[in-house]
Amino acid sequence: MLNAGAPPSPDRRRLLKRGFLGGALLLVGGALPLALRSTLVRRVPAQKLALLTADEHAILAAVAARFVPGDGAGAAWPTADALDCAGKVDRLMATTLPGVGAELRQLLHLFESALFGLVLTGSPTPFTRCSPAAQDARLETWRHSRVALLRSGYQALKRLTQATYYSSPEVYALIGYPGPPEVPRGPA
Amino acid sequence: MTDLSPAPGAGRIHAGATLPPMSAVEVDFCVVGSGAGGSIAAATLAQAGARVAIVEEGAHLTKRDFNMQEAWAYPALYQEHGNRSTDDLAIMILQGRAVGGGTTVNWTSSFRTPEATLRLWAERHGVRGIDAAVLEPHFAAVEARLSIGPGNEDDVNRNNRKLWDGAARLGWGPELIRRSVKGCARLGFCGLGCPLDAKQSALVTYVPDAVAAGADVYTDCRVRLVETDRGRARAVVADVLDRSTDRPRGRFVVYARRGIILAGGAINTPALLLRSKAGTGSGVVGKRTFLHPTVPLAAFYDEPIEGFYGAPQSVSVHHFVNRGDDVGYFLETAPTQPMLTAIAFPGAGDAHRRVVERLAHVQATIALLVDGHHDDPGGTLAVDGEGRVRLHYPISPALREAAVHALGSMARLQLAAGARELMTLHESPLTIRTESDISRLADLPFGPNLHTLFSAHQMGGCPMGEDPRTSVVSSRGRHHELENLWIVDGSIFPTSLGVNPQLSIYAHARLFASEIVKDFPPSAPK
Repeated sequence: MLNAGAPPSPDRRRLLKRGFLGGALLLVGGALPLALRSTLVRRVPAQKLALLTADEHAILAAVAARFVPGDGAGAAWPTADALDCAGKVDRLMATTLPGVGAELRQLLHLFESALFGLVLTGSPTPFTRCSPAAQDARLETWRHSRVALLRSGYQALKRLTQATYYSSPEVYALIGYPGPPEVPRGPA
Repeated sequence: MTDLSPAPGAGRIHAGATLPPMSAVEVDFCVVGSGAGGSIAAATLAQAGARVAIVEEGAHLTKRDFNMQEAWAYPALYQEHGNRSTDDLAIMILQGRAVGGGTTVNWTSSFRTPEATLRLWAERHGVRGIDAAVLEPHFAAVEARLSIGPGNEDDVNRNNRKLWDGAARLGWGPELIRRSVKGCARLGFCGLGCPLDAKQSALVTYVPDAVAAGADVYTDCRVRLVETDRGRARAVVADVLDRSTDRPRGRFVVYARRGIILAGGAINTPALLLRSKAGTGSGVVGKRTFLHPTVPLAAFYDEPIEGFYGAPQSVSVHHFVNRGDDVGYFLETAPTQPMLTAIAFPGAGDAHRRVVERLAHVQATIALLVDGHHDDPGGTLAVDGEGRVRLHYPISPALREAAVHALGSMARLQLAAGARELMTLHESPLTIRTESDISRLADLPFGPNLHTLFSAHQMGGCPMGEDPRTSVVSSRGRHHELENLWIVDGSIFPTSLGVNPQLSIYAHARLFASEIVKDFPPSAPK
């Protein structure tokens, strides 16, 4: 019998430290009173969540709403909620390695953090409770930050939410994409 | 532990879901990975009479599954469900994960290894006995099996036509790309799996060849460790993955009587050795990982381009590959299906939406930087106990210079081809309408997550060469420290290639496998 099979027990602290957002996160995430200002849950998830908590799902849903077409787009454009962007990201990320899913959750908490918002933009309001304009401003701060970790965090959220939205057949016609062609399918 | 060792005869493809919780097989050779390198090596060995098991992390998906929807294909067919990237997310990494490996999602562009690159390896990286003449029979055999014919002008869609026109007007010598297809309908969805089996991927060529010759393929098995014993590799240990959760649900062990052949691709192969702490004595495993870091530039035309349809790549421009002391690059196109395009376009919300709405009018030229030919060190891999791989790949000043130069060349080319306006994919994009705008490119910040970068070509990390201090395997793929372990994937390349690597991986793997067969004549007639 091989002895190589037992997985090395994951050293969680080390994992977090080495995560792409790990170090910065632990410094500011979660511990201080400002961070306790609660997340606004606008909508109950459409399906049972696979990875995220209801709060984390609400943060992701709020982020997704700003990354995809919104106020300026016509009524024909589906919202991020209508396409269940946050739910789809939840189900996708539940299948990644546990450390990757953990990092997404940390990133969402950091993004929501009132303390972090105060330090970054002078506003001590959780992301989910900000006005759309203030949410966009916070996204822009992350996008162009001199801190490389924040730019990474912005890209993680951008790619996950926009990938989910623009790969949805519901938006194909709106962006001038006729969709995949019909192909003849032979017998099995 | 259930012993599933196969009886002699034709092999088959075993889905992970059919394996018991703990099982093992004993074979002559275990091949890790079923992409270009693994499939052809397995076929070569099986045809010589060896008992072969291929262990594949991905699933066995076929044309009936390939629905041309990005939402399905990237999670199903790509490493890390389409989320693989460098550790800082600055370079998105497209890399296949399925039976057929990268060939299942490859865009079909087929090039032989450039002779200048082979010379560089011989002169600077200690590679011996590999030149165009040595590789010739292997390229010829692979080209025949994959139906790689001459470039075909009928393959050129409007996306590629603009690349051709602009390059021709500037005297940059555009060339038609040879493609690995048979009966191609030019649907444009090669990267999502071919729904017609027209693409001659390993999935429909060398994997079936290997199986017909007796090899067994075990899918949904993620190899965690190579077991070694006194300088020999003796087994691989894999987690059997539950397809719905991608979490381990069992264990599968392959004992290899004669040898183990790694073909998990650059990134996964060096990561496996590092995780196993096996054969890493040189200190160079996982270092010098190259990506052909790829810089896109979007051009907008008044007329429809519809780059989401038609052969994804049919034209290339190699005019800037040799830039003397500066890092070179070559130009191709990328298909413009909506998900890939939308995440490449900068910004959010309605500003982003207004660019994506022009999807049908976008022409996408890409510049692939030829990394590793100068002093740029490439990337470095690290692994953790969870199985996670982190690739740290800093953009060196030399690469940044090449990227900015390439943006200027692409801008000139697209304006020469008649584009109305161009948009760089910086987070603060520059709009270019005339030649005079191009000089402003140099003022833009170019760094991690300030500009879209991706990689579809992963190379290096276990370089071949004759010096065990600077290389991991010999010039015939045999590991310097583990005498019965070979590597036959893109990780053996000492630098990037300067062309799309798939055909080079096949040819080098075939060369190496032919040598292995010579050393190990079949033990018994079949």
